[in-house]
Amino acid sequence: MSEQALVQIKNLSKTIGKKEIIKNLNLDLYKGQITGFLGPNGAGKTTTIRMMVGLMKPTEGDVLIDGQSVKHHFEESIEKVGVIVENPEMYKYMSGYKNLLHFSRMHKGISKKRIDEVVQQVGMQNRIKEKVGSYSLGMRQRLGLAQALLHNPKFLILDEPTNGLDPAGIREFRLYLQKIARENGVAVFVSSHLLSEIELLCDRIAIIQNGELIDIKNVKELQQSRFYFKAEPLAQAEEILTGIGFPVSRHDGGLLVETEPEHVPGAVKLLVNADVSIFAIQPFQATLEDQFLEMTGGGEIAQAHTK
Amino acid sequence: MLKLIQNEWMKLWSRKSTWIIIILLAVILLSSAAITKWVDNSMNANNTETWQQVETAEMAYNLSMLEDSNLGDAQREYFEGEVAIAEHRLENDVAPYEYNSMQQTVIESHVMMSLVTLFTVIVAGGIVAAEFSQGTIKMLLTRPVKRWKILSSKFITTMLYALLLAIVLFIFTALSGLIFYGISDGTFLVWNGSEVVEGSFWLEGLKLAALSFVNVLMIGTFAFMLGTAFRSSSLAIGLSIFLLFTGVQAVFLLENYEIVKYYLFTHTDLTQYYTGFMPVGDITMTLSVIVLLVYFVIFMAISYLTFGKRDVTA
Repeated sequence: MSEQALVQIKNLSKTIGKKEIIKNLNLDLYKGQITGFLGPNGAGKTTTIRMMVGLMKPTEGDVLIDGQSVKHHFEESIEKVGVIVENPEMYKYMSGYKNLLHFSRMHKGISKKRIDEVVQQVGMQNRIKEKVGSYSLGMRQRLGLAQALLHNPKFLILDEPTNGLDPAGIREFRLYLQKIARENGVAVFVSSHLLSEIELLCDRIAIIQNGELIDIKNVKELQQSRFYFKAEPLAQAEEILTGIGFPVSRHDGGLLVETEPEHVPGAVKLLVNADVSIFAIQPFQATLEDQFLEMTGGGEIAQAHTK
Repeated sequence: MLKLIQNEWMKLWSRKSTWIIIILLAVILLSSAAITKWVDNSMNANNTETWQQVETAEMAYNLSMLEDSNLGDAQREYFEGEVAIAEHRLENDVAPYEYNSMQQTVIESHVMMSLVTLFTVIVAGGIVAAEFSQGTIKMLLTRPVKRWKILSSKFITTMLYALLLAIVLFIFTALSGLIFYGISDGTFLVWNGSEVVEGSFWLEGLKLAALSFVNVLMIGTFAFMLGTAFRSSSLAIGLSIFLLFTGVQAVFLLENYEIVKYYLFTHTDLTQYYTGFMPVGDITMTLSVIVLLVYFVIFMAISYLTFGKRDVTA
């Protein structure tokens, strides 16, 4: 991708006391792309996001948004960002509308018309005059999205955005995010625990563990073609398949073979000729969850750094 | 900045407690005047002292105070003025206001200013801390507005609210005086340093109220600082109210030490230069203003530094 990155996270580090929470994190985010941010609990997702929006000060490094530093030009850089950090907490004693009015006054040039427009977009027009205290979690999420979109941000950061939404709401939300990414060229950065959700929503996934970025993958890459072979004797089958150059691994009493579908008949012939009995061959779809657990080593809580 | 203050003002008035405080203040003022009238009626029914007798007795007391050689300059001036006024009244037969009159209540409205301090502390201690406890702080600080501006808007809003309370206080003391005591005959006299002249009781009441508002400002700023630094409104409010009551007592404990001159509560009551009640005699208005300014700057510096630097993890 030759296009200039909209958001650049550069050598971002955070040390609290003696503990390094984030270690030298580098990541670029691009216009129109939705990037998922995955990691086990305590990996540093929220800390990273908080540093990106100026809630926490990085010990080292910086975040550039459209070329402007969050550290040195806070107002100019944050103007372009819409944020939902964890649950969107609102002023419960005010109406949804007053909450939006409140936040709109903190940006430049947001008209009343724009507020109404955003309220329509998130489908809150019927309840917007009621106090936020009476809203369900799902409605607060919608209001949270509304406040993040008020100023037409170029970059949207969402931390656990679908928490509390019903399945229809999640779907609507996903389609909406994909629409604004595609049509308005908004860069979106989403952290979530819902792996299946991330898989459907994102173009790209960044995985963090123990404060380090361990992998960045395009979602399409993840969906590589593999086949599951159940055959007897297994050792002989493995030998033959490895012999002709397929990457093979054992899985659930059989073999996992990385190959394209057109090579399968050839492999079957070889096995039959060698008198191997074949019980089953099926395409194997690893879910993102399997891969995630594989990459993060079982997804255990981040290791303690004390000795 | 105006928009930020507008925001804070909107949030403030969206809470019931803000309204309750105002109503409570008005109710307390009216009812305390009613109770005072009722008590006075039952106790002083056969009080037949004339104003001349009262003035003579007060003059004798003030003269005896002037005998004291430890008297500070400010106090000496006050007592001399009082004696001069009393002499003038007796010579020219100029009656003062009756003790229970609307005019006298206006002049003394500042004595109820501690109520305003109390209520201001509740708002000042909570205005920042509440954002943290509600979790709304992260919505507030991820806007293209620098933190010091947000904090300033909160401070200004607190002080505007305090000012509103002080105005309510002034109006309602005048109103309660009018309702329960009525307007009395008499003339208000002041000593301008060389002669006794006629003065306005409204101006005198306003001047004293403005001076005691400085106390509201200082304690309010203190509570604001605690609320900002500790993010706990109960701690800020509790500690400020505790100090409000014990701080002045400590002046008497420290009386004999030099340090008392630099102690906050020696100076918070600026009306002391006009009412003659000075726990520490040898201080001047200038010293008080300087000491108060230094404390104010320290309180503000702590607020801005903690708020500006803090990592928000709430």
